Amino acid sequence: MRGPGRRIGVAATLVLAASTLSACSSSDKPTLNWYINPDGQDTLNALAERCSTDEYDIAIQLLPTGATDQRTQLARRLAANDSTTDLMSLDPVFVPEFANAGWLLELPEEVASAVVDDDVLAGPTDTVTWDDKIYAAPQWANTQVLWYRTSLAEAAGIDDALQEGTATWEQVIDAAAQNDATVGVQADRYEAYMVWINALIQGAGGDIVSDTEAGVDAQVDIDSEAGRAAAAVIQQLADSGAAQSDLSVSREGTSLGAMFGPGSPGEFMTNWTFVYKNYEPSDTNTVVDAEQFEDLSWARYPRTVADEESKPPVGGINIGVGAYTENPEFALEAAQCVTDEDAQRDLAVNEGLMPARASVYDDPALTEAYDASLLELFRESVEEGGPRPKSAFYNQISGAVQSVWHSPFDVNQDTPAESAQFLEDVLQGRALL
Amino acid sequence: MSTATAPAPAPAEKKKDKPHQSDRAVAENKLGMKLVAPALIVMLFVTAFPMLQALWLSLSNYALTAPDDRSFVGAQNYVTALSDPLFWRTMLVTVGIMVVTVFFELVIGFVFAIVMHRVVFARGIIRTSILIPYGIITVVSGFAWQFAFSGTNGFVNYWLPFVEDNFNWFGEQFPALFAICVSEIWKTTPFMSLLLLAGLAQVSEDMVEAAKVDGATWWQRLWKVILPNMRAAIMVAILFRALDAFRIFDNIFVMTAGAVNTESVSFLTYRQVIEQFQIGMGSALSVLLFLSVLVIAFLIVKLFRVDLAAARQEG
Amino acid sequence: MGNSPLRKAGIAVGALLILTWCLLPVAWIISLSFKSQESITNGNPGFLPGDGTFAGWDNYVAAWDNEQFRRAIFNSIGISLIATVLSVIIATLAAYAIARLEFKGKKLVLTTALAIAMFPVVSLVGPLFDMWRAIGLYDTWAGLVIPYMSFTLPLAIWTLSAFFREIPWEMEQAAQVDGATSWQAFRKVIVPLAAPGVFTAAILTFFFAWNDFVFGISLTSTEAARPIPASLSFFVGADPFNRPASLLAAGAVIATIPIIVIVLVFQRKIVAGLTSGAVKG
Repeated sequence: MRGPGRRIGVAATLVLAASTLSACSSSDKPTLNWYINPDGQDTLNALAERCSTDEYDIAIQLLPTGATDQRTQLARRLAANDSTTDLMSLDPVFVPEFANAGWLLELPEEVASAVVDDDVLAGPTDTVTWDDKIYAAPQWANTQVLWYRTSLAEAAGIDDALQEGTATWEQVIDAAAQNDATVGVQADRYEAYMVWINALIQGAGGDIVSDTEAGVDAQVDIDSEAGRAAAAVIQQLADSGAAQSDLSVSREGTSLGAMFGPGSPGEFMTNWTFVYKNYEPSDTNTVVDAEQFEDLSWARYPRTVADEESKPPVGGINIGVGAYTENPEFALEAAQCVTDEDAQRDLAVNEGLMPARASVYDDPALTEAYDASLLELFRESVEEGGPRPKSAFYNQISGAVQSVWHSPFDVNQDTPAESAQFLEDVLQGRALL
Repeated sequence: MSTATAPAPAPAEKKKDKPHQSDRAVAENKLGMKLVAPALIVMLFVTAFPMLQALWLSLSNYALTAPDDRSFVGAQNYVTALSDPLFWRTMLVTVGIMVVTVFFELVIGFVFAIVMHRVVFARGIIRTSILIPYGIITVVSGFAWQFAFSGTNGFVNYWLPFVEDNFNWFGEQFPALFAICVSEIWKTTPFMSLLLLAGLAQVSEDMVEAAKVDGATWWQRLWKVILPNMRAAIMVAILFRALDAFRIFDNIFVMTAGAVNTESVSFLTYRQVIEQFQIGMGSALSVLLFLSVLVIAFLIVKLFRVDLAAARQEG
Repeated sequence: MGNSPLRKAGIAVGALLILTWCLLPVAWIISLSFKSQESITNGNPGFLPGDGTFAGWDNYVAAWDNEQFRRAIFNSIGISLIATVLSVIIATLAAYAIARLEFKGKKLVLTTALAIAMFPVVSLVGPLFDMWRAIGLYDTWAGLVIPYMSFTLPLAIWTLSAFFREIPWEMEQAAQVDGATSWQAFRKVIVPLAAPGVFTAAILTFFFAWNDFVFGISLTSTEAARPIPASLSFFVGADPFNRPASLLAAGAVIATIPIIVIVLVFQRKIVAGLTSGAVKG
């Protein structure tokens, strides 16, 4: 049974039915529930087993696919002061909100210094910090790069610019349009569209919001030159022949097929690190053959403006400990175990989820599994990437931006101004989101 | 699909009894109240009680993610909602979906009812298959149609002439609403046709025959004899289906998740409460949604002069 | 004229149209469930699986192997059955009184039931979420059974009172006159007459509970209580970045099988229940 509170006010039979279901083991050994997002399930299952000890077991609980759905599920449990949420895999953008609501256990000094030591890359370290305290342990880091076919880049003559990392969105879109190819992005109305918009704006030297510690009174900066530069890129793609037909509902998975589509020159696609493993031929993966895979190439995220370095999106997963857990000691121990070097290595080698620790990139297992240039590109992108706004109201900020910028077909030079107004109204509670 | 039956009027069989002795009548009255009490209490507990709670919550600014900032704001949430273009846009979308789906369900359902009424062969098969869309989970219907309309994995684009093979139905408001309506209409037309079939069975064959003898054409018989005699059935069907369609949620959640301006009032309310954790604003929208249903019910009853007594089994 | 060939042909075409209407989407989802998952990722348009993309039973095996999915089926069956049984018991008492007794407030009960049947369920989500998490009913079976009553109970009351109205209650007295005890009269005469109505009401109520989505996604967060429709909408395949369309289709087919079986077996009863005097007089 889960606790005395669960019995109130119900016919005894119903409670019996409900609670026998949720009853776990009969022994006294506690079970820690670890809510994971669905990336890398196999490795995470193995990890849960490895990190279980004589004192406790770790049980995996699966969250839905989308970042927003994952947040909703966890937040609903925590809002209900759920004591069975022990460990959770958190998208970095939700750490401030959860920490601010008091749903995450602050990591004690000795644990904090172990999980975010000097070896951890700057990007991930920043995402677990809120109000100068550490609220989670970085497990893996994600970033986007530009994936493309060498044959396409050569035909378009932008291979050099791509390899130097100086290619702009404008060049990439033109190159695709002139060669009957397409550009794959994520522009459905969901979190990854926010990721794209944020990267474009930061790539032009701007921000969506700043002074986010002020909560709802944060400074809204989206109505700026940088905002308009970002809108110009989206507008250019939407109006171009290089746009994929499902642009307005495109997600991480929907543009994978266009890379090696039959009779097509391929595509330029900004996407996360998992893409490499998705195409890499193996006994169980026959999506593409070895010759096609040889043609796959990668480059740094495109620039928004020619004279400014790009700010690749960063994401990943942090492990937080629930504030209401009955076994905080065990949960903290387990959180350290599932984020250690071995765990990060396994996730990278098996699942294509990149380490949050710099030293793991040099691990022989990784250098064998990945091309050296790709590993270097991933590490550089995580290190130099641009995070999304760090705010306790991130969900509102993201929702407000998506609402105005979707559909990508309607984006124009007025979009940033409109978006700034709406964002302010939403934060001040003057508009419905 | 929460409106299934509009059962029959009460035959007043009690009148056959001998005049009651008054204490027996009192006892019967008591027993009757005792028997209906559990039903009444449960119904009020699960609806009226939460609704009052919503009314109370709607007067505060209360977000679960910032529980310490809860404050009493009076009618502020209602003012914000009612002056927000998003609220009115979702209202328009919802009413649009309601009108379109009910209209097509009525027309197609009527054709189906006539066919089922006349058909002599394969009656059982037809009646069984018509129950299948009715029984299928709305979410499943939503998925089936979403994938059917998908450019990458569906078949609709390949079957329809004048539609590009890679046309994206969910990229713009009207095509997306069309897809949503198709799923809604597909699932609920069978229920409509069964209601109309029951109404059709009430139309006296003699009257139709008499009209025929008088030389009325098929069209005249339909409009002058059959439809007027089915009036009660049609009106009750419209009322139930319209109120049900106004609550549309499942198909939108599954097929577009509210993107490209396909959000309904129910979906907006859900998002405020469950995704934004804005309990105060969400409760205000809940109350507004409830009031909208009342207004629509009132309008339909007045406009079409629906005989509620028939729907309330009083004959 | 009434049986002219033209008209016969029209009816036949109409019948064919109905069958296509009802069965085509079902055939489609079945067909989709046999497309291989890799082919879905890369695009596999068309009604039937393309060449070399037929997956056999793979998707069904994978769906069934999914622990969350099996739990969801179990939850749905359990929660829907409990809600059905409770509703039908409470509604039977009420419907008996409505059909058989004269008492004050009869109209009130029926009007309340009608009003509640039209109630926008989403309105209940906010307050229930807030209450349930405070008293610990959140994400439990009971936390769903109780709100399900808001639509199953009115439905059961309406259906049952329509049925009970048709029962010739005098037969009970007749049996008593013939020497049966009142218990015998009730058991031998009334129960067999009332049973089909109760049964039909139970089937319809079960359909409604099985179909619920709003409460299912709002008041649960794990497989401890999450029912099938909610589980399908959160369905996660091997590839987290792609909605596993074919796997989902297989899950949907499995979730639909109980409904199809009930429809096939009880077709007649369901039609009677759905339209029971819907519009008489």
